[in-house]
Amino acid sequence: MRIPMKRLVAVGAASMVFLAACGGKAGEGPGGEQGASDEPATGGTVHMLQNSDFSYLDPARGFDGGVNAFYRLVYRGLTMQTAGDADDPNEIVPDLATGLGEVSDDGLTWTYTLKDGIKFDNGDPITSAEMKFGISRAWDPEIGIGSPWVKQVIDAPDDYEGPYRTGDIPTIETPDEKTIVFHLKAPFPEFDAVLAQANAVPFPEGTGDGDEFLSDIVSSGPYDLESYTPGSSISLVRNENWDPATDDVRKAYPDAWEFEVGLDQSTIDERMIAGQGADANAISGTLQASTLPRLQDPRVSERVVEAPAYCLTYMSMNTTSEVFSDVRVRQAINFAIDRSAVVNASGGTQLADPATAILPPTVNGHKDFDLYPGVDGKGDLEAARELLEEAGVDDGFEFTLDIRSQPKMQAQAESIQQALEPLDVTVNLNVIDTSSYYETIGTPSQQNDAAISGWCPDWASSASTFIPPLFDGRNIVEKGNGNLAQIDDEAINTRIDEIMAMEDLEEANVAWGELDEQIMEQAPIAPLALEKGLFLPGENIAGFHPSTSMTDLTIIGLEDPSQG
Amino acid sequence: MTRFLVGRTSGMLGVLFVVCLFTFVVFFVLSPDPAVQVCGKNCTPERIDQIRLNLGLDRPFLEQFTTFLTGLFVGRTYGVGEGAVQCAAPCLGYSFQTSQPVTEMLMQRLPVSATLAIGAAVLWLLAGLIAGVLSAVHEGRFLDRFLAGLTLGGMSIPNYVLALVLQFVLVVVLGWLPFPQALPIGEDPVQWFLNFLMPWVVLAVGAAATYTRLTRANVIDTLQQNYVRTARAKGLRQDLVWRRHALRPALTPIATMFGMDFANLLGGALITETVFGLNGIGKLAADSITKNDQPVIMGVTLLAAFFVIVGNMVIDLLYSVIDPRVRISA
Amino acid sequence: MAALPTSLEAEGRSEDSAALGPDGPRPHRVRRFLAALRRDVPTVLSAAYIVLVILMAIFAPLIVKLSGWGPYEFDQSAIDPSLGGLPLGTGGGISGEHWFGVEPGNGRDIFARIVYGARISMTIALSATLLTSALGVVFGLLSGYFGGMVDAIISRLMEFLMAFPALIFMIAVLSALPAENRQVLLVLVISIFGWPYLARIVRAQTLSLKEHEFVESARASGATGLQIVFREILPNLAPTIIVMTTLAIPGYVGTEAGLSFLGVGVVPPTPSWGQMIANSVTWYAVDPVYFLIPSAFLFLLVFSFTVLGDRVKVLSESGGIRS
Repeated sequence: MRIPMKRLVAVGAASMVFLAACGGKAGEGPGGEQGASDEPATGGTVHMLQNSDFSYLDPARGFDGGVNAFYRLVYRGLTMQTAGDADDPNEIVPDLATGLGEVSDDGLTWTYTLKDGIKFDNGDPITSAEMKFGISRAWDPEIGIGSPWVKQVIDAPDDYEGPYRTGDIPTIETPDEKTIVFHLKAPFPEFDAVLAQANAVPFPEGTGDGDEFLSDIVSSGPYDLESYTPGSSISLVRNENWDPATDDVRKAYPDAWEFEVGLDQSTIDERMIAGQGADANAISGTLQASTLPRLQDPRVSERVVEAPAYCLTYMSMNTTSEVFSDVRVRQAINFAIDRSAVVNASGGTQLADPATAILPPTVNGHKDFDLYPGVDGKGDLEAARELLEEAGVDDGFEFTLDIRSQPKMQAQAESIQQALEPLDVTVNLNVIDTSSYYETIGTPSQQNDAAISGWCPDWASSASTFIPPLFDGRNIVEKGNGNLAQIDDEAINTRIDEIMAMEDLEEANVAWGELDEQIMEQAPIAPLALEKGLFLPGENIAGFHPSTSMTDLTIIGLEDPSQG
Repeated sequence: MTRFLVGRTSGMLGVLFVVCLFTFVVFFVLSPDPAVQVCGKNCTPERIDQIRLNLGLDRPFLEQFTTFLTGLFVGRTYGVGEGAVQCAAPCLGYSFQTSQPVTEMLMQRLPVSATLAIGAAVLWLLAGLIAGVLSAVHEGRFLDRFLAGLTLGGMSIPNYVLALVLQFVLVVVLGWLPFPQALPIGEDPVQWFLNFLMPWVVLAVGAAATYTRLTRANVIDTLQQNYVRTARAKGLRQDLVWRRHALRPALTPIATMFGMDFANLLGGALITETVFGLNGIGKLAADSITKNDQPVIMGVTLLAAFFVIVGNMVIDLLYSVIDPRVRISA
Repeated sequence: MAALPTSLEAEGRSEDSAALGPDGPRPHRVRRFLAALRRDVPTVLSAAYIVLVILMAIFAPLIVKLSGWGPYEFDQSAIDPSLGGLPLGTGGGISGEHWFGVEPGNGRDIFARIVYGARISMTIALSATLLTSALGVVFGLLSGYFGGMVDAIISRLMEFLMAFPALIFMIAVLSALPAENRQVLLVLVISIFGWPYLARIVRAQTLSLKEHEFVESARASGATGLQIVFREILPNLAPTIIVMTTLAIPGYVGTEAGLSFLGVGVVPPTPSWGQMIANSVTWYAVDPVYFLIPSAFLFLLVFSFTVLGDRVKVLSESGGIRS
């Protein structure tokens, strides 16, 4: 499944794929103590079973949670998201740089210093020149299709098209081998998080043109690619030129990694339950709902690890459509939706919680509130009816809901259909094929009245990659539109600018939480569910701290490497 | 013979050409703009234009089609200037999703589909011929009726239902077999065999049932022929009657069908490969369809058609060897 | 592939093309044939099941009123939210309330969905059969009778369609097309790839029939080509067409279910057996009933049509018509 953008991935794909390192707090399985808290030992091979292939080995192209987790094993950047078992796993910490960036007084110039002893897999040293070259690949129109942040934040000439077409980028300076200086378009207090994006990694100058990195890579992380068969398998071996002394986050316990790709989700769950042979050394993505009843066997249940939700599943209501232009109708829908039915459709209470706010609790800045409380966990039809009466549509109406041809999303849509039926609201489902779903709903001229979608943050240390892309009215574009509700509210737009300019992250986060509530008063979306993760690592796996956004693969290892 | 070969080959190329054209037209008309698809989310109009240019999508339909055909026979060049990529014949283009050459993707998957096809073919031929002959010998008696019921059942069971039932019983409940994985034969032949056994059986059941019925009908038919009766009357030994007179003509139509069925399977067992998660051509087809990866869908379709057509031709040739009564004619 | 009618029809072709001679269906033969069918136990049993499914399809709304639950109604009280939405109680939630249990995750009544699913199975399979037979007969007759260019074009077309990897193509086309009118599309797509198998046989028989005396005399009396084809030859092909059609139906039932199983069939929440099986796949280990019920209904329907087709063929070859 190709999902071009990580944040659109949440519904469906995120549940099947693994994402890298914003792991939750050390997982606590229902069975209490589990493998994840044990200390891994060095050596052995860790296996990973997954359904879909990684999008791209080239970090300038890939931008979804699954591949971001993988990139952490083979690439390093100036900064990175900290280890999955940290107290605040959302924190951004230095990686190849000796410390976080030093910002100038005007907030436009950021300076970083590289560590000593950092090398590529061939033994060549990584200097500021390689760093700059690697980052500048993001501007290549052909290659730089991954994370947009680097291009959005760092200043560059208008006609700059990357190192292969245009050449050197003048706005990133390298005064000496160890120092790199970035000039920004506008102050961006969270610039450290931008450099933690997967496409801000070093490459030897001149490499990676065209399709070069599609099948082979130049590694800067603890592992190097040994073999890659698309759609089938990936093997990683140790990169002997990676010096652990230069890396505070990655532990890199196993000697090798084997990714088995293209397996059916049920087969993966079956194999994880059985845990025979090498599968004892395997990890996989979150379990399917149908696997849950089989976890009651104590020997299986003690292996289960939970992960909190990082992504929000929601239904956007197109505020420019006739039916949803009235705020009271949107509020009524929010009241009427039976969130317990949505939770059941999403796999039950072990795999989902009802969502009432935009920001998930795991994203820094979350505020707990429920503007449209239900009755006994079901929708409040009375409140909804009153609002519809006020709006003059109490004799019912019809709307079209865009959904992806994927069982879980269909189940969620059907539960909304059922919940709105008593109000004489008819929901017509428009099922769109998986590959073109996000393209279609992201094109305002093609999207219908409503759509079910999901959103994950690009970094969870604040809400700056959550609220602006979804609710900033100036972000409504003809193609690749993220503001599905097409809400363009002066007050919201202004507030977003104010918070983005705040230099104190904590202050900003409190403000994001309040803005969340302010936006929900207008009900441009109906938050549906927070889809949690439930993982079943093999018996011999240790240091496993999964996350529904990104699981940190760099701290996982085997308890007893002699068995792997 | 030469005339026959030339005639058949040109006919084959003709059909392949039409398959090409048809697939190309359908996807040209049906599909959303491939450039937008390749481009993904952070897409700019300039980038779309660039991709169009590189993939040759800015060209008129006929030109695109001829370029595709040229690529198939002599290779083609993608893009212009320094970024140009040479794609050697038979060039089926590059995947929109992974940018891998489609030919390479197909070749990577072919061994799995071939393993499936060969194993299944051996199974269904053995089962079908044995059961068919047994049925014919016991015509009208219990064994015949029993096998008749069984074959009707075998023909009726959807293979995904059979696959799931087998997997549930043999793997999940009894634990006798592993979850099928496409292992190479070299490392551990026993494991390899156990892994492929279930998919083979699933693929073979329907065909085995059909072959049983065919064999039965043909054998009964030939046993009633005059020359067999004569041979028997002459006092020829029973096994010789069977070998020389009854089986050989009875097998001819089966050989014809076998060619078709086997070739069909080589082109990928879509459902079985998907259900068992085996990375063959069929799974590739299913995956590329969900991802709307047109060059791969085209490639799979053409390869499958190619196998069927070549299979047909080979069988026609063999036919003349097995049954000398058949004259070769262009 | 069980999802395609190929193997079945291929067998039908090689076995019966010779057996079904050009004898016209004379009235007493038809009567005797029907009587033989009525005495045949497998025929009666399979016909009974088919009739049952057809009745289910026709009276679905009434039946569902009796059973109490509609095909789209959720019953959250029948499932366990803490176990992934597994139906409560044994046997997938089978109870007086839900006769066949409920679907995991939403508690929809399986009985109601089976009953409504029969509608999809039957309409699509029967429409596809009608369309395929019409196409197959017309093209087969034209090709066989007129020969020459007409024959060459139709034969090439058939060769092309039969060499085409139909399943892959059907899925690709269906997933690329919009979801509206999915049922019509299904019928069209199935028929386009289905007709050559019948047309081939019709063509072969037309070739031999057109040399017969009655055709000659019709021609002598000034009948046009089309008149001869449809008035003289077509009636003589009736037995073949009936047998081939009966043999083809199970293939189409299977194909519709197969396409729905692969996710390109009817659009949810419209119930279809193939789709129910697809949804039940992940649940079969913990809720086998959910998997077994639609599978059994589907298998029995395909099986019944196969048996019926087989008996019609056997009886028409032996006792019924000849004796």
